[in-house]
Amino acid sequence: MTTALVLLLLAAGAYLVAVLEAWTASGRFRLAAPVVAGIALLGRESIVPRKPDRIFFEVAPVLLLLSALLAAAVVPLTPDLIITDLATGALFINAALVYVLVALLMAGWGPNGAYAMIGGWRFLGQLIAYAMLIVMPITAVVMRAESLLTTQIVASQASLWNIIYQPLGFVLFFVAAMALAFLPPFDLPTAKGELAGGVEAEYGGVRLAVFRLGRLALIITLAAATVVFYLGGWQGPWLPPWAWSAIKILAVTATMLLAGHAMPRIREADLLGWCWKLGIPLALLNIFIVGILVLALP
Amino acid sequence: MITGARHGKLSGLRRLTALAMARDLRAFLVPGPDIARAHGLDIEAAGMQIVASPRHASVLLVVGAIPPPLREAAAVIYAQMMRPRALFVLGSDELDQLPEADVRENLSQQYLIKGVRRLRTAFAEGAFRSDVADFDAPMLHARIEYTCPMHPEVVRDEPGSCPKCGMNLVAREAQAPAGHTHTDQQEMIVDADMHATSDQDHAGHHGMDHDTSAKYTCPMHPEVEQNEPGSCPKCGMNLELRESQGTKSHEDAGINPDGDHSGMDHRLMDHGDTAFMSMIDVTKDLPRSSDGLPMDWIDVPFGPFFPGLPGGLLLTLTLDGDTVAGSSVQTLGGNEELLQHSAMDSGSFIERLARVESLAPVSYRLLACRATENAAGVEVPAVTACARVGALERERIASHLGWLALFGQQTGFDWLQRCAASLQLKVQNAGIKQVLALKPDMEFLIKRLQRTPLLKSRTAGIGRLAPNAALHGPVARAAGISNDARSTDPSYSALRFTPVSREGCDAQARLQVRVEEITHSLALIAAAGVIEPPTPINIGEASGAGEAVVETPRGVARLRLTLEKGRVIAAQLETPSTHHLALIDPLIQQLALGDALVAIGSLDLAPWEVRQ
Repeated sequence: MTTALVLLLLAAGAYLVAVLEAWTASGRFRLAAPVVAGIALLGRESIVPRKPDRIFFEVAPVLLLLSALLAAAVVPLTPDLIITDLATGALFINAALVYVLVALLMAGWGPNGAYAMIGGWRFLGQLIAYAMLIVMPITAVVMRAESLLTTQIVASQASLWNIIYQPLGFVLFFVAAMALAFLPPFDLPTAKGELAGGVEAEYGGVRLAVFRLGRLALIITLAAATVVFYLGGWQGPWLPPWAWSAIKILAVTATMLLAGHAMPRIREADLLGWCWKLGIPLALLNIFIVGILVLALP
Repeated sequence: MITGARHGKLSGLRRLTALAMARDLRAFLVPGPDIARAHGLDIEAAGMQIVASPRHASVLLVVGAIPPPLREAAAVIYAQMMRPRALFVLGSDELDQLPEADVRENLSQQYLIKGVRRLRTAFAEGAFRSDVADFDAPMLHARIEYTCPMHPEVVRDEPGSCPKCGMNLVAREAQAPAGHTHTDQQEMIVDADMHATSDQDHAGHHGMDHDTSAKYTCPMHPEVEQNEPGSCPKCGMNLELRESQGTKSHEDAGINPDGDHSGMDHRLMDHGDTAFMSMIDVTKDLPRSSDGLPMDWIDVPFGPFFPGLPGGLLLTLTLDGDTVAGSSVQTLGGNEELLQHSAMDSGSFIERLARVESLAPVSYRLLACRATENAAGVEVPAVTACARVGALERERIASHLGWLALFGQQTGFDWLQRCAASLQLKVQNAGIKQVLALKPDMEFLIKRLQRTPLLKSRTAGIGRLAPNAALHGPVARAAGISNDARSTDPSYSALRFTPVSREGCDAQARLQVRVEEITHSLALIAAAGVIEPPTPINIGEASGAGEAVVETPRGVARLRLTLEKGRVIAAQLETPSTHHLALIDPLIQQLALGDALVAIGSLDLAPWEVRQ
């Protein structure tokens, strides 16, 4: 029952993300656009390119969707609305999202097209940049909560949200989450003007629909994770918990989507350079500061 | 009804999807969004979305007349699109390689909107049909040839055994046209290389017979060349096989000429006979990159309809990972004959030049006008000259805005793309009052550009070009050379013109020069006080030779022409893009793909004005 409800909410969330994404990309707000685009995609042919790696080509979109859903399974929307409150929840999110990389590499290799393949390799480089900045801020969050349970992490922020307790960690995690969801300006694997769509370029019809759905689910899951880790989850005055979760998640999603359209795509070398030379030292500093705070404050 | 309908009966759910498709039209533009904007078309306002990949498109929108090589490339794009697909042609009637257009309209926004409405009806009523024919064209077929694994010089059209060693010949795909075979309606297999009218494809079509793609030559006397094997008439050595030009470049680049034109055929996966795949074995023959890391080099075509490059430009990059190891660039849009007949009357010559150079029609119209006036010895009144300055500067603003839009598209800077494109459309044909009224909008754009994060790191130090004589226009002015044909123009001196110049020599400096020129040109327009596109002056039956220069938005263009009794009998055009095209290869060596594209983009090439 909970599972079905969470999945339903996730689908609704993905739909709203699609509306928001179309809005930020084209400047027009149309509530029906994603449903029309989705139906049109389902009615189109889905060609398999020549000499494909058929298994990779077919599995990639499904794997992307699955990996986002797996991560969503441990994200609590209210104290009870969680598919499974794993004892290793915070770690599990990270583990599940590793398959995003696998899915994109497969989507890059599968169709035997140069643009897709370069897109896939680019995302491998991107993983090297963002991966540590997902794990290390989560470590600091977990240190404060003294638990890997995601519900416990939310509870630990009852007095003060982590965004204020550890702002540095929030910034790093937020940026890394955008890179993980390959949102602009980190859309290196799907760059339109550089790779004509990259990993998406050879997909069409149903397969493309699944791929895009997976991407939407990924964005909403990451936004939900950000809310759980840093914005106090379902907590808030007056409104019921589910409403707070919904408002916060949508606000985070909108910020993620809007940020990228006002700047050009990052250079891959810069992304790697900044993440390693700046991001990781900052993440370590964050862990250090949080460690002192945890010891010093009661 | 559309010719590219998907197989099936239009009923039930399909009717619903057909309606959705009619609402959700996605267009792939040929030759490109830059040309569409130059023609004043706003595709998105007309209700279609522009997509970057033909796989995601349902409409192939052809804007204006395109030359035969581009038609062929457009046919490949059409074949890559997924059904139901439609062909929408604006302002062109000869498109021999493509199927019959589903909707054909004149080239203007009003007709575009009308065409979109017709397309919607066509999709709603005919997205599915039970009697659909496959689109088929010669360039979509792969030719299979047979070769001996031991003697690569043995190439036959039929299977059989090798005349030298008796081994069975193995089939491979011929180098010539890009492959494309059909199996059935549901799963048509189309070449994976996007937008590819691959380089071999074109090498194969330039005056070469498909069957004689191999030449035999003497290792000592390269001038000896014949179609049959044999011995050298000069030294008696056995002649060696040299493959056609397309393949040759593969060998130079060290790529295994395995017949797959993308060079990446999952080759490493196919070593079925070795249980252990040793990386040393696999990479031992691969070329070494500058960093010493052996990687599979691949040849990737970018263009002629690549979303991040000007339409009509075909760039083939040899990529080592994502670093450019080599490149070849050509234009499929340019090299159009200036004179249609041996003699054209001056009026239609001027019109023709303006039409051929569709990215800067005012500049080239002005150039042709000035050249004919110069040849006929006609003086232009200062008032007219001043009004022409207004029109030229307006075009400079529009062109630089168009460049900004393309730059935004290339670098994924959506806001810039949208904002610059809409300003370009507004400025392009506006009267003086409207142009000056748009000044705050342009200043806002410029101010925001200066504050944009990541923009500097994206452009600084990329595409460095030391000052030299081959640089023109904003590219030269960004390298500190203030050579500008406007400096010597009396009508500009009257407006107290001084050229903008910068010292950076890189993509960032070029961006800054263009941005500054926008405000600069606005000031010139305000000073000129009038905008009037150049109109040909009646030159009567004049004869003589003349020459003119115009500082187009991309640099100095020079036209020499000869008049005989009021008719143009000879014309010679020199354009900035011709010079800039030759700069590309050294410019992008060892750059990462993204940087290489920014570097090429910063040159602001117009493939249509290239003459070689």
